[in-house]
Amino acid sequence: MFLAAFSPKSSDDVSPDATLMEHLLRRDVGAFEELYERHSRIVYSLVLRILRQGATAEEVVQDVFLQLWRNSAHYDVSRPFLPWLLTLARNRALDQLRLKGERQRRREEQTEEFPQIASAAPEYEQALDEKRRAERVRTLIGSLPSAQKKAIELAYFEGLSHSEIAASLKEPLGTVKSWIRNGLLRLKEGLQAIS
Amino acid sequence: MSTNDQFRELIEAYAIGSLDASERAAFEAHLAGGCDDCVKALEEARWTVSQLAYLAPNAEPSDMLKGRLMQTVRAEAASGAKSESPVRKTAVPWWLWAGVAALLIFSVLSARNEQRLRQAVADLQHQAQVQQAERERLEAELGEAKTQAHEAMIWSDPNSVKIMLRPKDPKMPQLEAMWHPELGLCVRGWKVPSPGDKRMLQLWLIPKAGGKPMPSMTFWPDATGTFTAMVENPPQAMSETQALAITEEPAGGSAQPTSTPMWVGRVS
Repeated sequence: MFLAAFSPKSSDDVSPDATLMEHLLRRDVGAFEELYERHSRIVYSLVLRILRQGATAEEVVQDVFLQLWRNSAHYDVSRPFLPWLLTLARNRALDQLRLKGERQRRREEQTEEFPQIASAAPEYEQALDEKRRAERVRTLIGSLPSAQKKAIELAYFEGLSHSEIAASLKEPLGTVKSWIRNGLLRLKEGLQAIS
Repeated sequence: MSTNDQFRELIEAYAIGSLDASERAAFEAHLAGGCDDCVKALEEARWTVSQLAYLAPNAEPSDMLKGRLMQTVRAEAASGAKSESPVRKTAVPWWLWAGVAALLIFSVLSARNEQRLRQAVADLQHQAQVQQAERERLEAELGEAKTQAHEAMIWSDPNSVKIMLRPKDPKMPQLEAMWHPELGLCVRGWKVPSPGDKRMLQLWLIPKAGGKPMPSMTFWPDATGTFTAMVENPPQAMSETQALAITEEPAGGSAQPTSTPMWVGRVS
C-alpha cells in the first residue's frame, strides 16, 4: 500500500511522532515541546505562505499547536502525524484568510518579505528526510508547466475553487481540473518512487 | 465511464479543496454511500496534498512564539485546565479519580455536617441564652415576690412597730416605716420629689446613746414619687435606736450624713 510507506511503523520520520503523540496523550509537556521543535518550521512556513504576514501566521501556528495540545485525543495514532498536522494548519490558515479578507490586504503588501527565513537546515536527523522530501516536492511541482503549477498553488495556498482558478488564470474550467488532478497524481508517483 | 470512475476523477480535487460546491456535494454523497475504494484513494490523495506544504519557502517562527506556547501549555498542564480533554481520562488512573471523587463527596458531606453542627451549636447557644434570660427573669420575679412577701409580713405582723417620718419641709409628704425586731425594717412613701442629679435618699439610724448616725439603705422614688425600701438586717437593733432619719446624699450613699435630715421619725 502506498500509505503504508508513510505509516508510523515503517517510516523513521513518522514513528517518533507516534511515540510523542502517545506521550502527549498523557499530558507530557516535554513531548509537546519536541513535536513543536520537529514540525514548527514547516507548519510556520506553510501558514506564512498562505497568509504572508508574520504576526498573523504566528497567531495561527500558536492556535494549531494549542489545538494539538488540547485535543490530541482527536488524533488517530495509526495515521501519519505530519500530514494530519499540515492539513490542520492549512485549514486554519485558509479560514483566517477568508475570515479577515486577508487576500485584499495581502495584495496591498505584496512587497513584504518573508520574515526569519531559515538559513540552515535543522540539526536533528528528522530534518534530513524532511529536507529531502521538500526538495523532491519542489522538483516535481517545479517540473510542471508554469500555468499548471500556478493552478495547484492557487488551489493549495489560496484555497480557490476550480472556477475561481479558471477565472484567475483565464483558462477553461476543464483544463484547470485536469491540471490539478494530473499534477497531484504526478506528485504522488514521484514521492512513491523515493519511498 | 462508470459512475465510480467519474467520482475517482474528483478525488484529488476534493482532497485539495478545489471542487465547486455542486461537485463537492455530489462527491460527499458518494462517500457517504460507502465507497471504500474512494475512501482509500482519498486518504492517499490527502497525504499527497499535504506534501505541497514543502513548496512554501522555508521560514522559522520567532522564539517568542515558542515561549508563549510553552508558557500556556505548562500552565494548563499544571492546573489541569483542559478538563474536557479525553486525554485526562487516560492520563489519570480510574482509582485515583475514584479516590478524588470520594474525597470530594466526603469533603462536601463533612462541610455540610460541620455546617449543620455549627447551626445546631448556635441554636443550642441561643436556646441556652434564652433559657438563662428566662431563668434570671424568673429569679428576679421570685426575688421580687419574696421581697414583697417579706415586706408584707413586716407591714402586717403585729410585732412590727410603725414609725412616722415627718418632713422638715411642710410641703413634703410624710413617710412611714415599719420595723419588726426580727424581720427587718421597711420604709415607704408617696409623692416624694426626686432627689437631684446623681443624688439619692439614704436612711440613717440614730442611736439612743447619742453616737454617730448609723448609715443604712439608699433608695430613690420612681417617676410618680413612690418608693418602698426594706433592710432585713438593720445596722443596729430597734431597742438601741432613738430615731430614723432620711437625708439626700450623693449617689452610692455616704458613711455619715452630708446634709440636714429631710425626714425624721422617733422610734417609740
